[in-house]
Amino acid sequence: MTLSRKRLLGGAMLAAVAGIALLGPLHGVDPLRQNLSDALLPPGGAYPLGTDHLGRDMLARLAAGARLSFGLALLAALLAAVAGTLLGLLAALRGGWAERMLLGLADAVQALPALLLVVLVTAFAPGAFLPLYLGITLALWVEFFRISRNAAAGVLARPQVEAARLLGFGTGHILRRHLWPEVAPLVATLFAFAAGTAVTTVAALAFVGVGARPPVPEWGSMMTELLPYYAEAPLALLLPALLIFLTVLGLHLLAGRERA
Amino acid sequence: MSLVVENLRITGPEGLLVHGVSFTLLPGEPLVLLGETGSGKSLLAQAVMGNLPPGLHAGGRVVLDGQDILPLPPRDRRALWGRRIAMLPQEPWAALDPTMRAAAQVEEVDRLVHRRSAHDARQHTAARLARLGLDGAGRRYPFQLSGGMNQRVALAATEAAGAGLLIADEPTKGLDAELRDTAGALLRAEAEAGRLLLVITHDVALARLLGGQAMVMLSGQVVEAGHLPVLLDAPRHGYTRRLVAAEPARWQAWPHRQPGRTVVKGRNLRKSLGGRELLGGLDLEVAEGEVVAVSGRSGCGKTTLGNLLLGLARTDWGSVKRGTWVAPLGMQKLYQDPLAAFAPHQALGQGLADLRQRHGLAADAVRHLLPRLRLNQALLVRRPSEVSGGELQRFGLLRALLLNPAMLFADEATSRLDPLTQQDVMMLLGECVQERNMALLVVTHEAALAEKVASRVISLRTAAA
Repeated sequence: MTLSRKRLLGGAMLAAVAGIALLGPLHGVDPLRQNLSDALLPPGGAYPLGTDHLGRDMLARLAAGARLSFGLALLAALLAAVAGTLLGLLAALRGGWAERMLLGLADAVQALPALLLVVLVTAFAPGAFLPLYLGITLALWVEFFRISRNAAAGVLARPQVEAARLLGFGTGHILRRHLWPEVAPLVATLFAFAAGTAVTTVAALAFVGVGARPPVPEWGSMMTELLPYYAEAPLALLLPALLIFLTVLGLHLLAGRERA
Repeated sequence: MSLVVENLRITGPEGLLVHGVSFTLLPGEPLVLLGETGSGKSLLAQAVMGNLPPGLHAGGRVVLDGQDILPLPPRDRRALWGRRIAMLPQEPWAALDPTMRAAAQVEEVDRLVHRRSAHDARQHTAARLARLGLDGAGRRYPFQLSGGMNQRVALAATEAAGAGLLIADEPTKGLDAELRDTAGALLRAEAEAGRLLLVITHDVALARLLGGQAMVMLSGQVVEAGHLPVLLDAPRHGYTRRLVAAEPARWQAWPHRQPGRTVVKGRNLRKSLGGRELLGGLDLEVAEGEVVAVSGRSGCGKTTLGNLLLGLARTDWGSVKRGTWVAPLGMQKLYQDPLAAFAPHQALGQGLADLRQRHGLAADAVRHLLPRLRLNQALLVRRPSEVSGGELQRFGLLRALLLNPAMLFADEATSRLDPLTQQDVMMLLGECVQERNMALLVVTHEAALAEKVASRVISLRTAAA
């Protein structure tokens, strides 16, 4: 498959998920409203995607979950991208003790499994979203840091930078004209992967009961709730899983790069 | 064994690139294809080899030992590679595997192509390396070998497969004079051993070394053909004449100016790199209007010396003092690989506009200099990779001249350019020295060039490497 086809397919997947997120408000049903007599209904009638074990509307819940997951993931990935890239460029430009300290910090963070790290941070305030953001950001910045530092260090060693300095240009010019054009595409690609990781992290944590908790409509916690009813309503369990799958695969396809 | 090429034409999307070339290659008589970059000589070799870039097509006949190989499907063409037709890699240190010892790279040819046992392959390789004067080098990695030794390792690996036709594309690119002579002698020995040899080059000195026949190509056509060295001694076509005249040894010596104020003065300069002493207490002074050349083989510290004077590197010992009248940015540099010295993502005009803005230069400063450096204004919208090497080097000169430097350091600035372009760029540099009373520090591995341009030549010797 050619790169443009992959991108198109990835874009279509994300558009489908975004479509679900937008359908929610149009549908106009409260994702928290219970109707126990309508529990575990298959799609059809008043419930386009059926209901869960408490008779809540699946479409409304999935849509609310999409907004939550996307918001969380994008924000955490964005925060990590900005912080990691800035620190990476700083390390490459400054060198010396600043670079050694940042590298040591990055090593220390990477020594811990990312999920464990997020669990540790969220443990300070169970159920709140802010520590979740911070935890994910803390786990994700390292890659942005490493990639941007290595790319920038490679460019800084080239004659083009020496030439620019000889011509009297300062660090700002070198950042803008020499480093950024090389680093930006890498960071953009990494951002899509990081957002995908953030989506699965949020869902995985909610699935094991950290972060988002019932009745908050989050894809991971929805799967936990629906797991016991797999035999009666397999579709209700599959739908959130499918959306996670589509989101992550879509992001990865969109981030695909030309093979060198 | 023979190679007969009849009416070989290469067509691309924009039309005919090579117009009907015919030649016959016989054992023991090399054929040298001379011509500038873009004249189609490399395409010709690729058509014979069967690795033309996508979108290009070859017509005519390429008969190797009685068989026309041009109509063969790509699979069958590839089957000939190494066994019947071999191509000597350009810049062999880049073509060798840095993680394999030299002997292993040659051995695997015997093992994989000739299906010899490991023991046999080892013995064959040892003999092969010994014949090329590489005893003892087999256990070492490419980065532990000199450029010339790497070249011989690459040659050993290339010839190990036993191809009767050897094609060498610019085998001396980036080599200093001494290595060029070695490479030439190696290739001639291959031809004398009965192989068919096709060498593509714009290096006139290499052509002289090789002997045999030569063809001169210009924009896809053979403009002159004949035997060497007669063809070079009595060139008939205008292009061949210019090519021969562009050899530094045939240049007119530059006029010397009276040296003015001292631009920079280095005293008792010492510098070691990687535990090797490059400079051991050198004194050097460069003055206005003076052309000083530093020559020596690769790795002798020529560039380091220039960088010390410019303040781009620090001395281990000794002092560098620049004249108090010299502006902070009064010493500029031209780079060996101009492409590496420009921001690749930005149009040339944008870079110059940045420079103008940074230093508050007059709006028409660039426009005034362009015609002086024989540069077309239309090139300003292109990126560095979209202009020729000669043009880009002249842009390098242009941006340096915008700052009105007291001294220009040309670090092998023309060694990657073809001879005519080299002559062109060096002439411009000479004119700048005359017009601006600028100091010029030329670092070159070409002794002849140093002799012609400089009023003083400093030869650096490698301290026992």
